[in-house]
Amino acid sequence: MKPAPPLLMLLPALVLVPLAVLLPPLVHGGGWELIGTFALAAVTPSLDPVVLASLLKGLAVTVGMALLGWAGSLVLGLLLGVCSSRTVWRTLTGSTMLAELIRRLLALPRAIHELIWGLLLLQLVGLQPAVAVLAIALPFGALVARVLSDLLDALPTTGLEALRAAGAPAPAALLTALGPALLPGVLSYGGYRLECALRSATLLGVFGLGGLGTDLKLTLQSLQFHELWSGLWLLLAVMLALEAGISLLRRRWLVPGRFVLARRGVGERSREMLLALAALVPLSVLVGRSLGVDPAALLNWQPLPGLGGGDWAATWALPWPRLVGGTLLLTALAASLAVGLAPLLLLVVAPVGWARQGLRLLWALGRLWPPPLTALLLLFVLEPGVITAALALGFHNLGVLGRLLLESADATDPAAEEALACAGSGPRLALLYGRFSALARPYLAYGAYRADVILRESVVVGLVGATGLGSQLLESLSSFAWDQLLALVAAYALLTLAGEDLSDRARHRWLRAA
Amino acid sequence: MAAGPATAVLALRGVRVAGRGRPRLEDVDLSLAPGERVALLGASGAGKSTLLAVANGLLAPAAGTVLWEGQPPARSRRGRRRQQARIGTLWQDLRLIEELTVQQNLNAARLARWGWPRAVLNLLLPLDTEACAAALRAMDLDPALLEQPVTALSGGQRQRVAMARLLRQEPTLLLADEPLASLDPRLAGELLALLLAQAEAPRALLLSLHRPDLLEGFDRAVGLKDGRVLFDGPVGQVTPDLLADLYGGTPPGAAP
Repeated sequence: MKPAPPLLMLLPALVLVPLAVLLPPLVHGGGWELIGTFALAAVTPSLDPVVLASLLKGLAVTVGMALLGWAGSLVLGLLLGVCSSRTVWRTLTGSTMLAELIRRLLALPRAIHELIWGLLLLQLVGLQPAVAVLAIALPFGALVARVLSDLLDALPTTGLEALRAAGAPAPAALLTALGPALLPGVLSYGGYRLECALRSATLLGVFGLGGLGTDLKLTLQSLQFHELWSGLWLLLAVMLALEAGISLLRRRWLVPGRFVLARRGVGERSREMLLALAALVPLSVLVGRSLGVDPAALLNWQPLPGLGGGDWAATWALPWPRLVGGTLLLTALAASLAVGLAPLLLLVVAPVGWARQGLRLLWALGRLWPPPLTALLLLFVLEPGVITAALALGFHNLGVLGRLLLESADATDPAAEEALACAGSGPRLALLYGRFSALARPYLAYGAYRADVILRESVVVGLVGATGLGSQLLESLSSFAWDQLLALVAAYALLTLAGEDLSDRARHRWLRAA
Repeated sequence: MAAGPATAVLALRGVRVAGRGRPRLEDVDLSLAPGERVALLGASGAGKSTLLAVANGLLAPAAGTVLWEGQPPARSRRGRRRQQARIGTLWQDLRLIEELTVQQNLNAARLARWGWPRAVLNLLLPLDTEACAAALRAMDLDPALLEQPVTALSGGQRQRVAMARLLRQEPTLLLADEPLASLDPRLAGELLALLLAQAEAPRALLLSLHRPDLLEGFDRAVGLKDGRVLFDGPVGQVTPDLLADLYGGTPPGAAP
């Protein structure tokens, strides 16, 4: 009894069954009125010019931080990516040892979520715009480096060898043979990272690092829902414009979609691409100036309170199995919710044309709405704990996965679905059989990758309390327990690296079977 | 409404389909009685595929009427689906679902009649094995293929599985758009014979053909040119002159 691909895609949605049992006892019913007011405020956002002006200012800061952090991550990623490429080291020195070493080292900054980076830097150098920028640039840079080196090493080396055989010096040969082929992949992935950077900058704001996120959290806590929604709609407009712009450029430059494995012809618009990249430099400088980013200020380290010999006995006495178990449960629940619900919802609304647009909007809201804010909202009616946190994290990732699923569904051949509909199948079954069959494997492969991201992200809903490592980490941070913090970050990193390995294996299995 | 003693399986009256420049179909009348096997002839671009798309309900004509078993397109979604379930199309690109097994593909033809539980169960367990094996046998295929993924099949086997799926649907109207285009002559003859054998009353078959040398087993031929019906009569009356007119020069293949 082996479920066929389209069914496999829906299996994670079975998590709804235990949730349906576990959720009712968690409802405390105190704040339904507040949830209602919040929902109603969506259609009556505040139009007060003073409010709007302050929100716009916050939005500009968030966008600026995202852009700078992203640009920094590109620079870092390009440098480190080249440094961790096996092909590059083999061509330059004949050995790949250093590539392997750098690759291993880069796993650490990658495994630590930007929020942890942000909070650590905040303690270290105090609140300044550069903190958020650096918090985004560091982990993103390591991620870009990994993707870039993977791309580099996957390129055929025949052209490179030919150039070398003809006597070209190694650096020139590398640039000529691999550079142009690399550009589309870098731009495609880079575009995707810019979307992520905007989400991260908003999230960092929620934790007090400035920008619109801070405004959103303050308006939520003071129950000013009309103003909250003004901010959300503004952010939505920016996010959708950004996503549309990136997909437009992607089509114009003929670069492959996010997780399309086939490579199309190298874009002929290389010069345009390079110009666009070059234009980022003056733009970043300008944005940096107006945000007041001062790299020199990063060197003014503050004395850390409570830094002593460390109380390792207390650290050891933390309930580790429960913490790790909670984090894993949170990840599993949120990932199953996100991966399973996206295709399920798409099936449910299949017969109604406009409902798909509604779903699109819901998913866009899920993407832009930071999970900790969803969690705070849920706390109006739910008890704190792993399930509440999983709902918040699942909703956010549902937005990411749902958009990807819709995009890929629109990009697949409609023939099989059309044939089924023509033979009288209902729209839902035609979609399930005709389209999901082809989508299932790449979708699940992406889901495996996403589960790893969710594990890393689980720290952001730590403020709900009792969610495992994440909440303990925030607690230790606020009580300046540096020893605990160190151990927790290490535990997180280990877990994430193990998860990365696991999700890589799952991904390869799915894609190979296809 | 009925044209004769038995209701026509398919009847088109004055059908017009607009196109860029000239219409793709203009004033087309066509009627298929139960048990009739009709070949649709014409050069590429004559409107054969458009006519078949109108016949299987994919394309609504700009003018004229389409009747299936005497009924116009049903208004309700449910009625419409019931109507579509009785129209079986053999697609030129077969449209098998590559990720599923042969049996799951055959059963996909039953989705119109099945509810959710069976549709989902079909993705988990082998269902209706007897009926599926019978459909394969009718197409000269080994029932042992049922558990194979369709990607493991040869080109000829895929063609036969697509035809078996058509049988599994139990349609009254069989439509096929150049199903033999990509096959070698011997295989094309064999498969055509299998298809023709399925078109017994109350069923009717309408098949578009680009090779007039395969006309033998058909009762009637309909010739399309520039979106209009140029000829509609017994296969015996198809002359080399007519073919030359239809194809605007020498017809591909020899005349019968």
